[in-house]
Amino acid sequence: MIQAQVGVPVGRARLTELSLLVWVGVLAVLGFVAVVGAETSSFGVASIIVPAVFIVLALSLHVFLAARRFRGDQVLMPIAAVLTAVGLVQVQRLASDLLLQQLSWTIIAGGAFAATILIPRDLTALARFKWTWAFLGVLLLVAPLFPVIGREINGARIWIKVGPGSIEPWEAVKLLLVIFFAAYLEEYREVLAHSPRRIGPFPVPPVPYLVPIVAMWGIAMLVMVFEKDIGATALFFGIFLAMLFLATGEAFYAVLGLALLLVGGFVAYQLFGHVQVRVDTWLRSFDEDLRFGAGYQLVQGLYALANGGLFGAGLGNGMPDRIPVVWSDFVFDAFAEETGFAGALALLALYLLFLYRGMLIALRAPTTFLQLLAAGLSFIIALQTLVIVGGNARLIPLTGITLPFVAYGGSSLVTNWMLVALLLRVSEVSNRMRGGP
Amino acid sequence: MTAPIAANIRSLTLTLAAAFLVTSVGVSYWTIIAADELANDPFNPRLIAASNDRPRGAILDRNGARLATSERGASGFVRSYKDQSLAQVAGYASLQFGLSGVEAAYAESLIGQDRADPISIWRARYLGERQAVGSVVLAIDEKIQKAAADALGGRRGAIVALDPRTGAILASVSVPSYDPNQIVDPQRQQTAMDRLNKAVDHPLLNRTAQGLYPPGSTFKVVTASAALESGFDPTKKLRVDDPYQPDRSWGDYFVRSASHAHGLFDMSVGFRLSENIYFTQVALQIGGGKLAEYAKRFGVGTTPKLDLPAAKGQLSDSGVIDRPTLAADTSYGQGELLVSPLQMALIYATIANGGVMPTPHYATEVRDAEGHVVRQIAPGAQGQVISANTAKALTTMLVGAVAGPGAFAFGAKIPGVDVAGKTGTAENRPGEAPHGWFVGFAPAQAPTVVVAVIVENASEGGVTAAPMGAQVMRVALGK
Repeated sequence: MIQAQVGVPVGRARLTELSLLVWVGVLAVLGFVAVVGAETSSFGVASIIVPAVFIVLALSLHVFLAARRFRGDQVLMPIAAVLTAVGLVQVQRLASDLLLQQLSWTIIAGGAFAATILIPRDLTALARFKWTWAFLGVLLLVAPLFPVIGREINGARIWIKVGPGSIEPWEAVKLLLVIFFAAYLEEYREVLAHSPRRIGPFPVPPVPYLVPIVAMWGIAMLVMVFEKDIGATALFFGIFLAMLFLATGEAFYAVLGLALLLVGGFVAYQLFGHVQVRVDTWLRSFDEDLRFGAGYQLVQGLYALANGGLFGAGLGNGMPDRIPVVWSDFVFDAFAEETGFAGALALLALYLLFLYRGMLIALRAPTTFLQLLAAGLSFIIALQTLVIVGGNARLIPLTGITLPFVAYGGSSLVTNWMLVALLLRVSEVSNRMRGGP
Repeated sequence: MTAPIAANIRSLTLTLAAAFLVTSVGVSYWTIIAADELANDPFNPRLIAASNDRPRGAILDRNGARLATSERGASGFVRSYKDQSLAQVAGYASLQFGLSGVEAAYAESLIGQDRADPISIWRARYLGERQAVGSVVLAIDEKIQKAAADALGGRRGAIVALDPRTGAILASVSVPSYDPNQIVDPQRQQTAMDRLNKAVDHPLLNRTAQGLYPPGSTFKVVTASAALESGFDPTKKLRVDDPYQPDRSWGDYFVRSASHAHGLFDMSVGFRLSENIYFTQVALQIGGGKLAEYAKRFGVGTTPKLDLPAAKGQLSDSGVIDRPTLAADTSYGQGELLVSPLQMALIYATIANGGVMPTPHYATEVRDAEGHVVRQIAPGAQGQVISANTAKALTTMLVGAVAGPGAFAFGAKIPGVDVAGKTGTAENRPGEAPHGWFVGFAPAQAPTVVVAVIVENASEGGVTAAPMGAQVMRVALGK
């Protein structure tokens, strides 16, 4: 029985993925045609080359997987691809001079995806070297604070200089963090969840087991205060809480953590100007002192959303370029202006689908480590989406978190594609063990 | 054995799915529910962009002279501003930089959606109909405005003229100014705005209402009001010997007299010769608390109710007068006092208006496309600040301060008209020439115009400002 399924002919393998990718290709071409058609001024050779290169890239990744008889999930890659295509269309629409750069990053991301499919040969190796990941993560996290390599851009010191450009090491840190937590919690979750000492109904684990986790958290908080990036702090803390909850099932940890976050946020509000500005612009965006000052970007984003209506102004027909630096933090509002609530909902649905597939992979994973890993990785994408879309729609304070796959930016695209590769590999392990498709 | 992780994964996924639902609802709020309101928000650049296709309402002076209009150009309508001396008042409507001045304050009215006309707003919002646009009429009188601009003659400072009976602003000049036509010209706007933002003398600032200065001796009317209303006898003579300190506890701190005076002064001589030591003694007799109370009643330290942005000013750094030396300095308009020229004009308007403070306003009417008045802007009086008797007594003394023997403000005299007024020479930063002030009104018997003049860093102080005030009042009175 199992043998029979392993023997699926290569030619018929990953047909679901292929047919989904065809639709992705169609959407990419349609998107570029719409944008270039509406704005002939932005038409250039790149407008033809980019969708073509993108489609070739997506198909090569598919062929690469199929040729290796790779048996991982067939839906996640097309979702990531369609989101990447939306991102490229948005860059063409909003900052066409950055298009070739973003395309290069997409190709590098494809390479990183393929490499992650190949290396390491055995995923459990990730768990073995957990302390290495923790150390590397902390090192990357503090790297921007060092004088020569660190860089401050737009008030946040979260960049390091690499060659001619700069990268955001935080993006890699989030992956390392999930791997570390997954490995660490697999080992100690029994102790954390079933401590003999309890306060009321809540377990209080022995101190030595808590120390590494709290230390990671403390370092992160301190560094974030110095790097002035509340978005990353929130994401970092969110990952920490989610992983703790996944491992122990103790909602108490999550509630306590959220309470800590609120207290920390309140203290930071009192102490730090940059936090105060973020909160004030969120609460009083339309007040006169803010709508033309610190809140200008957010208010312009809300105007864009409002112009979207139900079905949008049409790609290329809105005015999202009134939002300063729209291609990085406000790409969601720009997309919603031109595709409307319908388009925004579709985009959110894609992320929800990504979350669903990712969590399904986690549920089916054979070991606790792989379960935690897959769930943690899927959580990252969902949380990032919620934090930036919530910020764009003024539901929560705005932060500089990137909209996964869509927002302009290389570091984020590369790590997110590595994340997809890791999820695919977890699903391959389960499929191989169960003999599924 | 710990419970399987599967259950935790399911709960986390459900929580996140719920968060996605909430986020979608939030997005639907902005894209659908709040969309109409935001689409018609006057600061929405999409609306300003749309005014490229149809004209924006005109801004007119009180006689219908066109101050700002929309002219059809090669690529749609372009805003055109006629009077550079009104740049900070009329403001600009730029796709790039948003709105300012009257263009901002009456933004809805200028696109045919005045709040007094809810039906047009409703029709624009839900039927997509755009009214033919009307106009906003200002109280500004181009003749008086020109007189004020000529009087100041390009010197850094401000002149404001208003009608004390209504608070309507007749002229408002702030120098340096700028050319708003450059701000709305796509070719030149960026360089123009960069230059304006970098300029050290703040051309974008409406000094009239937003510039803050120490008032100097023009503030003595507030000290006098407090004294007269606390039963202080203005005819009582006080001994003045320069330099002055009440007792040794003031150390090396002395109040100086501008004329190095020695002699007996009553209040009207104190006004005429602008005697600091006289007003210091008055303030010390009635106390800093009383002085602070009257300063606040005259609106010092509160933002004036104006239809354009206005600055707040202050009585002192702490908001109270908590020591005798500060009471002394405040009595003759120094210390830590900061006021706008408009605020000083309002204080004198109160005296001119029998003790009742009017509410200042730039605009008087919003009209529709056919010229019918949609809304009248007449904010009325703010209340009785001092008694009519006090106002009358002050007016008499202020007439003496202009026309009396040896009066400091002699430069403000107008033949055949009784002018009431007061100069001021306000010490600013050490080593910098003082600011010159004149604030006054005419005719003293039944005032119809109040003028406040400030000339920044005028070496001769109030002597420079007084004739400028006269020049503006003369045109306003038709003399």
